[in-house]
Amino acid sequence: MLVNDPAAAHWPFDPSRVELALEFRRRPRGPHGDSLQKLLHRMRWNGDAERGARWILVVVEPNRRWMLAELPFRRNQPVRTFPNEIFTSLAEAEWEVFKRRWAALAGNPLPESIADAPAGT
Amino acid sequence: MPVPGAVDTTAILGYALPLTVSPGEEVRFHLSSPAIARAEAAVARVRCADPDPDGPGLKLVFPGTPIDGVVPLREQPLYPGSCAIVPDAPALAALSGFTAGAFLWPTAPGLDYAGTIAQTVLARWCEETKRGWRLGLDAEGRPEFVVADGTGSWRAVSPHPLLEREWVLLGGSWDPAAREVRITVRSLDPQSGRDRSATVAAPGPAALSWPADTVLTMAGHAAAAGPSPRVIGLYDGKLDRPRLYAAPLPPDALHRLCEALRPDAGDPLLLAAWDLSEGMDTDRVRDRSANRLDGTLLQMPARAMTGANWDGSTRGWTEAPWQYGAIHFHRDDMADAGWEPDLRLTVPADWRPGFYALRLRARTEGAEPVESFVAFFVRAPVGRPSARLAFVASTATFLAYANSALRLDQVHAEAMLEGLIALSPDDVYLQSHRELGLSTYDTHNDGSGWKVSTAARPILNMRPRGATFNYGNDTHVLDWLEHFGETYDIVTDEDIDRHGVGVLRPYACVITGSHPEYVSRPMLDAFDAYQRGGGRHIYLGGNGFYWRIAFHPERPHAMEVRRGMIGLRTWEGEAGEDSLAFTGEPSGTWRTNGRPPQRLVGVGFDAQVFTASAPYRWLDGARDPALAWLTEGIDLDAPLGEFGLRGGGAAGIEVDRVEPTLGSPPGLVWLATADRLGYGGVPVPEESRTLHRGMMGDQNARVRADLVFFTTAGGGAVFSTGSIAYACALTCKDYENNVSRLTRNVLRRFLDPSPL
Repeated sequence: MLVNDPAAAHWPFDPSRVELALEFRRRPRGPHGDSLQKLLHRMRWNGDAERGARWILVVVEPNRRWMLAELPFRRNQPVRTFPNEIFTSLAEAEWEVFKRRWAALAGNPLPESIADAPAGT
Repeated sequence: MPVPGAVDTTAILGYALPLTVSPGEEVRFHLSSPAIARAEAAVARVRCADPDPDGPGLKLVFPGTPIDGVVPLREQPLYPGSCAIVPDAPALAALSGFTAGAFLWPTAPGLDYAGTIAQTVLARWCEETKRGWRLGLDAEGRPEFVVADGTGSWRAVSPHPLLEREWVLLGGSWDPAAREVRITVRSLDPQSGRDRSATVAAPGPAALSWPADTVLTMAGHAAAAGPSPRVIGLYDGKLDRPRLYAAPLPPDALHRLCEALRPDAGDPLLLAAWDLSEGMDTDRVRDRSANRLDGTLLQMPARAMTGANWDGSTRGWTEAPWQYGAIHFHRDDMADAGWEPDLRLTVPADWRPGFYALRLRARTEGAEPVESFVAFFVRAPVGRPSARLAFVASTATFLAYANSALRLDQVHAEAMLEGLIALSPDDVYLQSHRELGLSTYDTHNDGSGWKVSTAARPILNMRPRGATFNYGNDTHVLDWLEHFGETYDIVTDEDIDRHGVGVLRPYACVITGSHPEYVSRPMLDAFDAYQRGGGRHIYLGGNGFYWRIAFHPERPHAMEVRRGMIGLRTWEGEAGEDSLAFTGEPSGTWRTNGRPPQRLVGVGFDAQVFTASAPYRWLDGARDPALAWLTEGIDLDAPLGEFGLRGGGAAGIEVDRVEPTLGSPPGLVWLATADRLGYGGVPVPEESRTLHRGMMGDQNARVRADLVFFTTAGGGAVFSTGSIAYACALTCKDYENNVSRLTRNVLRRFLDPSPL
């Protein structure tokens, strides 16, 4: 059988490389440098294994409003929505999930100076 | 639960049959809602199905019909899972000591599906009265054989849970003289830790009273008596050469009986010897014994599967059908919801062909108003066109993607899409409602691929407000045509498959949409004959004419694909299972079947790109004065399509390339290319001769979208854009942009009968 291994993305995460977070904040849709591409691949491939789920968005209003949600890894388990976490831009949603994933990998949140950095496009 | 604050698109669901109708014909709407008692129905002609406010937005026209108004609703359940039912017969009811056996390749022993773990393989068992006999796997995945008559129950169970995807001989027998029941398991490959062989006897009765009026079943057992019970205790896996013999048999004799392709029908003790290699394209299972205990399959399990005796000497079942006597049953197969119709509409004779949908509204004042659609298509009657232009509804592709759970289930989805997954309320519903049946992109609960898709069930992503891919994207082309006042007919893939080139021939020009990926041989022959016969074909898409499929020869709106060992496949079929059960033809990509898309439309699928779409740049071919009609009003020094609703450009998502070695015509004019797709341009797997770095679009000039034109025999011509994103650039800048202008130039010229 041809299967994908959810644990296959094993690029080593280095919590000191906060410049990669800044790069993502400035250009969430890219193009990205080589290291940021690898970091994003690791985050996106694995999902959020510690939660048994993947951070996702649910469309509330097409191309205008999105809600943070969790997609369980197991089929048939309902999507869990977070009605108070609403985004009006995909870039803000990407940044929010990036911060959560960074914190999960590093064991600590991003430094405030970076977490609060101004958005790019 | 609806998504808070969003339009509820799933509180009411339904499907339309037939999926495609001509004016004057009746379409039936099969509806269900567990919670809403009545809805406001209205039939709409769909101009744009995509509600994105950055594009044309949802555009529906309501002609007014007799069924517009309040429709009462009821819940109609879905019962997924395939099985076989053999009608009750005197020979079954009179059974005394006997043996039931088969070869088995279980795919989910001991695994839960919808709250049930135990799985029945072969039975004449009534669950309501708990009487009969049953051969199967218990909740630990161990083979068991049970007989019961209401006064007692006797069971023999093997100590070893079965392994997934390993063949075993399985048998259960009752010996009244010895007062014994017995389970026999023999691993066909007992080496290296795989052996699960065992023979276990347990006390049994001297006599039994069987249940009356109870069907015999394969891959499940009857919930109740009667000729058409609901079947429960379903089974995931293959079943090969099931047998029923009117005497207890020792293991060697059982093995010989199951191995024999045609056991002696004159043996009076042979009760049944089913040959599942007969009638691959039917829902019949054939018994070769003198009793003729033929049965019927429900919910279309996978046929033409390799049996325990497949030896690798062939990969096509038609060459050695006796090696393909297995059926793979799935507990989640869903081919026919079986709902009763709630509304019937005779399509008025004066309706224009088009994409149509029944809209159902309820709770319109609430925070989550209900607005759900059921799609259908209105064609011009075959051979009686009402326009000079036809748009092909890619119904084979719509079915292939029907209820795709790719973004829900597949590990790679977020990495492939280069960003957070954004689920629609339909996707959220599908995550916890797998009973709808999934798409041919998905895997069944047991990990095997979905090979068959039908329209006799609700399809969430082929309707307005649904996912934009395919159906939604194609309506951007329809909206663009309507904006410029072009009159068009709709023809469907299935009509082309059934009726051939006669469906296309009446039209001066035919447009295929954003992603006509799935094509049967009759369809490909029809497009080829149309082009050679002077037809003019505009292909406004990417990754077209890629997979070889078949429609079912008789059953409407059912298609089949086998994903072989090559191609951009989200699952891989088992070795030897490359050929279609529906027709016996090889499946896989058209490239591996000797007819790459480049031969038909000049370009063929070469890469995906989800990071960002790009513009094309014009090439010298476009500057030929003979093509001034094509480029009129367009600045050839400016990028083509530096905008678009899919990734911000006209070239992206899935893209096609000119490739002479795969059949791009020598007379082709290479008009433009988008060959700077960046690192997000990922080539398809069949593009790699070997493994090396440097294959992505930032380093690889063969990762690109090409735009081409060529003429064919008899005054025909082809214009291809080689990009899925192209269709969603047409309407940008209020329809006045260079992609729109180019396409209008081509359409105007293609509709002009003067020679090219």
